Amino acid sequence: MTRYAMVMDTRRCIGCQSCTVACKIHNELPIDIVYNPVTTIGPTGTFPDLTLSFLPLICMHCGNPPCVDVCPTTASVQREDGIVHVVDSKCVGCLSCIMACPYGARQHNHETGTVSKCDFCKDRLEQGKLPHCVATCHQKARIFGDLHDPESEVSKLIKNNRTVQLLGELNTDPSVFYIY
Amino acid sequence: MSKSVDLNQEGVQVKKSACYFCHQNCGVLAYVKDNKVLAIEGDPEFPTNQGGLCSRGNSALRHLDHPDRINYPLKRIGKRGEGKWERIPWQQAIDEIAARLADIKSEFGAEAVATAGGTQRTDDWARRRFMNLFGSPNGFHNAHLCWIPTFMIETAIYGWCPFDLDIANSRCLVLWGQNPGASGMPEMHHIVDLQQKGLKVIVIDPRFTETASKADMWLPLRPGSDLALALAWLHVIIYSGLFDQEYVETYCEGFEALAEHVADFSPEWAAPLTWLTPDQIRDSAVMYASNKPGNIQWGTSVDQIGRPAGATMHARALLRALTGNLDVPGADLLTGPSQEFITDEEMEANDTLPEEQKTKQIGSDRFKMVTWPGYGRIAELSKAFWGKAPTAEWMCEAHPPSVFRAILTEKPYPVKALLVSATNPISSYGETKLVMEALQKVDFMITSDYWMTPTAMLSDYVIPAAGALERPTITSSYGCADFLLASQRAIQPMYERHNDYNFWRDLGVALGQQEHWPWETVEDAYFHKIEALGSGAKNYDQFVENVRFHFPEREYSKFKERGFATPSGKVELYSSVLEGLGYPPLPQYVGPTENEIDHPELAEKYPLVLTTGGGFMPFHHSEHFQIKSLRYLRHEPYMDINPATAASLSINDGDWVWIETARGRIRQKANLTNGIDPRVVFTQRGWWYPERDMTSPGLGGCTESNANVLTTTADKDCDPYSGAWANRGLLCRVYKADPLGDKEVS
Repeated sequence: MTRYAMVMDTRRCIGCQSCTVACKIHNELPIDIVYNPVTTIGPTGTFPDLTLSFLPLICMHCGNPPCVDVCPTTASVQREDGIVHVVDSKCVGCLSCIMACPYGARQHNHETGTVSKCDFCKDRLEQGKLPHCVATCHQKARIFGDLHDPESEVSKLIKNNRTVQLLGELNTDPSVFYIY
Repeated sequence: MSKSVDLNQEGVQVKKSACYFCHQNCGVLAYVKDNKVLAIEGDPEFPTNQGGLCSRGNSALRHLDHPDRINYPLKRIGKRGEGKWERIPWQQAIDEIAARLADIKSEFGAEAVATAGGTQRTDDWARRRFMNLFGSPNGFHNAHLCWIPTFMIETAIYGWCPFDLDIANSRCLVLWGQNPGASGMPEMHHIVDLQQKGLKVIVIDPRFTETASKADMWLPLRPGSDLALALAWLHVIIYSGLFDQEYVETYCEGFEALAEHVADFSPEWAAPLTWLTPDQIRDSAVMYASNKPGNIQWGTSVDQIGRPAGATMHARALLRALTGNLDVPGADLLTGPSQEFITDEEMEANDTLPEEQKTKQIGSDRFKMVTWPGYGRIAELSKAFWGKAPTAEWMCEAHPPSVFRAILTEKPYPVKALLVSATNPISSYGETKLVMEALQKVDFMITSDYWMTPTAMLSDYVIPAAGALERPTITSSYGCADFLLASQRAIQPMYERHNDYNFWRDLGVALGQQEHWPWETVEDAYFHKIEALGSGAKNYDQFVENVRFHFPEREYSKFKERGFATPSGKVELYSSVLEGLGYPPLPQYVGPTENEIDHPELAEKYPLVLTTGGGFMPFHHSEHFQIKSLRYLRHEPYMDINPATAASLSINDGDWVWIETARGRIRQKANLTNGIDPRVVFTQRGWWYPERDMTSPGLGGCTESNANVLTTTADKDCDPYSGAWANRGLLCRVYKADPLGDKEVS
């Protein structure tokens, strides 16, 4: 069974925020909703001995998603392929999931009254296309694929590089892996 | 929640289009149905971007039908800047403009009509064709600040500009004042790929940029001191014996003179001038010279340092020659112009401009490298060797600040009309005060643009320009590359927008140039250019759909048999071409345009060093401030300042501050960052506020945060070779702005 995953190669990310904008524009998100910000770390140190890195964020599509557990209406669901998304018609906007998510990946959509989040562009996946943030990345810093396929690029990258899952200690089992 | 467009629905065509928001022209696939673009995405098969698009590229559909776009020709009916317009039909606009230009020509001469352009976002061989046929030598762009002086000086020394980097085979890349991490994404991903295979990257930049953060070596030099660094590198390479002896002996002239000339330019000499250590200078020179083949990538920075710019380009050019990094595998290639398709220069009708008119080109008396005297000489050598000349538009232009001064002073003669296409000079040309006065004074001004810019607001007619997705594009490095990438329009222009080609053509036809404009559409003209490639295509769109790219097979080391396109046939380390034009044959040291050593009194009043003009995401030059989905990333202008400096000035992160030079002051918000020397500040370029009242005198706050208020274009501050003016290496002071500066941008 497929489990979708994303690898963030922070060695390659240059913080251009193309992913952020591509997601916002193509998914027609309200101006105050951002699914995948890129945070800048640094420059740290004292001039001229500095380091600078960028950390692209996104919903972690957790294997053990706390947001799904707390949803009182079963609007938050986890598909068999690991994608965590919100069924709009069932969401009453109680915001419990926003509080439960340790990654700040969910936002209240003031236009619809529901909670919005990244769904790995699941409709594009059905058309055989990659999520917008992955397709648009010049730097190929975001890599998408099937974690359960040992031949997939994500599996190979995870196998061959030092990676970390953010807040892995919470036992959320994120589907997003960071190479650093 | 995500939005999904069904791209497989019936009737959807996929057009091989190009992004047009900078001149990288990334490949874009446009999904089109009934002349409407449903969706766009980066073209994975396009060799440069390989599917990637930056934030601007992604915004193409927001740009295409933005409510602020200009869609119809407008004629001014109120006072200048009052914002009162009458919508008129296209042909009426063309006829009225043509009639007025004809009147000006008969009263003041054709040279009284000038044109202003921006970066390469237009088909400017057509502009040149129009101007040549009209009889005026006074077209110009910001060319002086962007590659063109570099091109001409390098061509003077070794017969072509080696802008085509054979980087896949390189071992060392010098990014000299270039930050592809924020301004050249397709290039950046190749660099990172190659770094993983062992490519060494040296970044020369006062700022710890996105690119510097990935480099093997970062040289944070004092802004504008590049010449001292280049001379010291020459010194190290010669006196440490790192030069390619065989190459120099066989293919170069003037080595002894150069060696003697740089004898005193040691790293110890350069250290206090560049603020680098002697070891940093020596180690970086060794890294470049001993990791061969290697490349020096051009960046705009050196073009923008003003007075020392030409000498710096000259010194930098010699580094390639000494190390033999010219036209060999992995190095910087001397391709020459295309021998296979018709170049931009061949489309310009330069032979129709009378010699007498060439001599009238404004600025050609002082700044010879990018005006008719220097261009004429280079073109002569180039034609003798390559059979073709570099593009004249860009490489041979009037000196913009001198044209603005001519408008104001009528010296050397009156300039009465300015045709502005694809630029907003108030934001993008140096010394805004001068530009504003000139634009307010000029008798007749037309602006062709996407938006009602501050410059458009001052115009007599505003012409709606077709943009990305509405135009075909040939990408060929200002018409100078021997390769090309061809893209098609996704849809016909919306409303009454026209391609800039059609503006110039229609204007030409209205002025009796009909016989010289046989191509009705841009595609007709493009097909004429590329038909000789013999692809079997019957029209331009077929070429795009079936062929799209032309990359000739690389011929390395052509110099072994043919020499170089210089008078001696060799690389002229001691340049006879520069000497013949009255310039030093070897690069003479001059300090940064404004500096603490030569100008101590100025430095006392303005103790910080300013650098500005660099690119930053998500904007390009003075564009895209209207587009919310980009603007939200950077709502307001920011200037970079070191926290220690800020603390000494009681400036906190996010405070509005004034940045002031001898020309004036602007307001931006302080961004406290360790990534800049405590003695340096960086301001963002291009800012204006299209959401504000666009009428005069405010014109959308166009002087409030505009970095060009700070820059200088005085003759003494310009590069004597090219006339390039100074954005970088100026002296400034910074202080907290009054509380009014804290008001929110609406």
